Amino acid sequence: MARSGKYSYQVEPKALEVTDRPRKFLEAFAAVLKFGNYHLALDTYASLSAKCGRCVSSCQLYETTREPRDIPCHRSELLLRVYRRYFTRAGVMKARLFGGFTLTDQYLDEMAEAYYRCTACRRCKAACPLGIDHGLVTHLARWLLAEIDLIPKALLVAVREQLEGVGNTSAIPVPGLRDTCEFLEEELQEMFGVEIKFPFDVEQSEYVFFPAVSDYLLEADTLMGNALMMHVTGGSWTIGTGNYDGINYGLFYSDRMMERIVRKVIAEVRRLKGRKVLVGECGHATRSAWFIPTFGGPDAPPVVNCIQYAHRMLEAGKLPLKAERIEGRVTYHDPCNIARNGRITEEPREILKAICRDFVEMTPNRSENLCCGGGGGTVSIDEIRPFRTGLMGKRKADQIRATGAKYVVAPCANCKKQLREVCEDNGLDEVEVVGLHDLLLKVIDVKGPPTAPAEQSQSEVGQASWPDNEYDTQR
Amino acid sequence: MEAWLAWARGPMFWAALTFMILGLARRLAITIWEIARAWLRAGDKEVVSRRLLAATLKWLIPTDRLGNRPLFGLTTLVFHVSVILVPLFLAGHIALWGPAVGFAWPALPNSLATLLTVAAIVTALALVIERMASPDARVLSRFQDYALPLVVAVPFISGLLVMHPRLNPFAYEATLLTHVMSANLVLVLAPITKLSHMVLLPATQLVSELAWHFPPDAGSKVGVALGKEGEPI
Repeated sequence: MARSGKYSYQVEPKALEVTDRPRKFLEAFAAVLKFGNYHLALDTYASLSAKCGRCVSSCQLYETTREPRDIPCHRSELLLRVYRRYFTRAGVMKARLFGGFTLTDQYLDEMAEAYYRCTACRRCKAACPLGIDHGLVTHLARWLLAEIDLIPKALLVAVREQLEGVGNTSAIPVPGLRDTCEFLEEELQEMFGVEIKFPFDVEQSEYVFFPAVSDYLLEADTLMGNALMMHVTGGSWTIGTGNYDGINYGLFYSDRMMERIVRKVIAEVRRLKGRKVLVGECGHATRSAWFIPTFGGPDAPPVVNCIQYAHRMLEAGKLPLKAERIEGRVTYHDPCNIARNGRITEEPREILKAICRDFVEMTPNRSENLCCGGGGGTVSIDEIRPFRTGLMGKRKADQIRATGAKYVVAPCANCKKQLREVCEDNGLDEVEVVGLHDLLLKVIDVKGPPTAPAEQSQSEVGQASWPDNEYDTQR
Repeated sequence: MEAWLAWARGPMFWAALTFMILGLARRLAITIWEIARAWLRAGDKEVVSRRLLAATLKWLIPTDRLGNRPLFGLTTLVFHVSVILVPLFLAGHIALWGPAVGFAWPALPNSLATLLTVAAIVTALALVIERMASPDARVLSRFQDYALPLVVAVPFISGLLVMHPRLNPFAYEATLLTHVMSANLVLVLAPITKLSHMVLLPATQLVSELAWHFPPDAGSKVGVALGKEGEPI
């Protein structure tokens, strides 16, 4: 594997040229504490952390490596030590009297490794009696490291392309996007014999669509499923040519970038006078979009994940399904970013139970699921693939193997890429990793009448939309 | 000795108790103040959810949370129940403090109090032993993590000996002085060590959640403060 030498992931040359890093890191830390909302959490963690070790068995990495540095609490302590020493009165006084810990270049390098050995899946949070959110600490530490230019090149390049280049992380220009969609339209025409559109720049649509833009390169079936879903349910939707990328790697390394990317989504919805953000099958894009109220103010557009939309339609009996079901065993992988906080866990299961003959759960699941192993943006870092699919992905592979499933449904662009590699590298050659809409594409009946409504009355079925807040029932 | 004892359970005790109460009140007040400030700055004000409340309750009443280290979970549970109940509901303490505060409250039967005291001692020692025995916890542990359970155990050990003079190989008054002074030490340590979780625990889940509720302009302000606005990515 290609390595830049100093870190297990590649960085840009400028990351190696930064001088006086400890001082710059502390300046960034001070600014973040001043303007952000992290201060209270760090203060609480720094004083209450019990070091009980309960988090150890919640971490799939530590379970595999047994290296102390991979214990969540140990990793968080790296940053908490800096906080205590430089930003609490007791720490400053202690250092004056007795000396002790000093932030060094070497220590920063240790942090740079540690915080990218964590996928920020936040599974360990539920195991901590004191409520310490180690994923939050990873999130913050990565931002601080980013301010001294310690950023995996793969993430940095994608964000640069999105904010300063072509406008999206995969650098797909608008003509390329249009070509792709035309091709998908032709495919759909061939499959179903009807015209199913990917509408562009339709003003005043109810939904403006933001998938992970990489879907346009890699996930044709998912996108065709999305378009088919909107077609059969009569949904009013559009793709905006000003911004068609839901990916937000700012979530993984810098709140400064995250803010700019979320604002770009809001701006596109406003430009098109759209009403809601429809996020494609992508976990972190959905979680990033859930930050829209943070940056968009009180009249920010509501956010709907396409699974929530599909589930609503199924529930209301607006989803015409063929008589045949998906054959072969199907299991479901909960993407951390939508399931850890319990916000989207039941909808995909109800859909899968309706369309599959043999649906089985993997254990653990829902908010206790294991990460695919490529969370926190690490899936984009190709040079660490052996780490991702080996150490990080081993338990996931075991979990998938235990289900005996043919299809693993993972409604997340990152999880899909990672799980395919996990299966490939762990001898799970028979397993097919797909999106939820990939399966829906096979069972939706374009010409058929809608299925009978499950519970809703007939009068409700005719409605084209629901109150915005009704999608997010599990919050 | 008698004078020492009178000093320890008189002025010294009240000083330690006052230090604890004021210290914990200060920490609690700061936490509440900071929660309010963070909430006011947050762009997304929808913070409290069913899941947040459930997580808070789960750890306040951790009966179903023995979790992934069952022995350790059980040890901590018994430890906490014992160290909370015995000091507050021991008949001898109530007889001592009741007149001072002006009212009495129901006491534990002495036999149960003895049992819980033994449980407190055993579990405090077990916490230390389990910490040393677990490679994971050992690598995380600091000096205070071993010291605090032992410090907390001292007033229970000496208290047990005070309650049962026939078991006590030491002089009664020396034992009583040890009991009172070690308890005073625990009171003083409460607000300045991780023992302060005794008042802050109900807030920790909320504190974690709030940290994710960013001020809308935090990122850009940090950029300006660091002189990085307009800097190419």
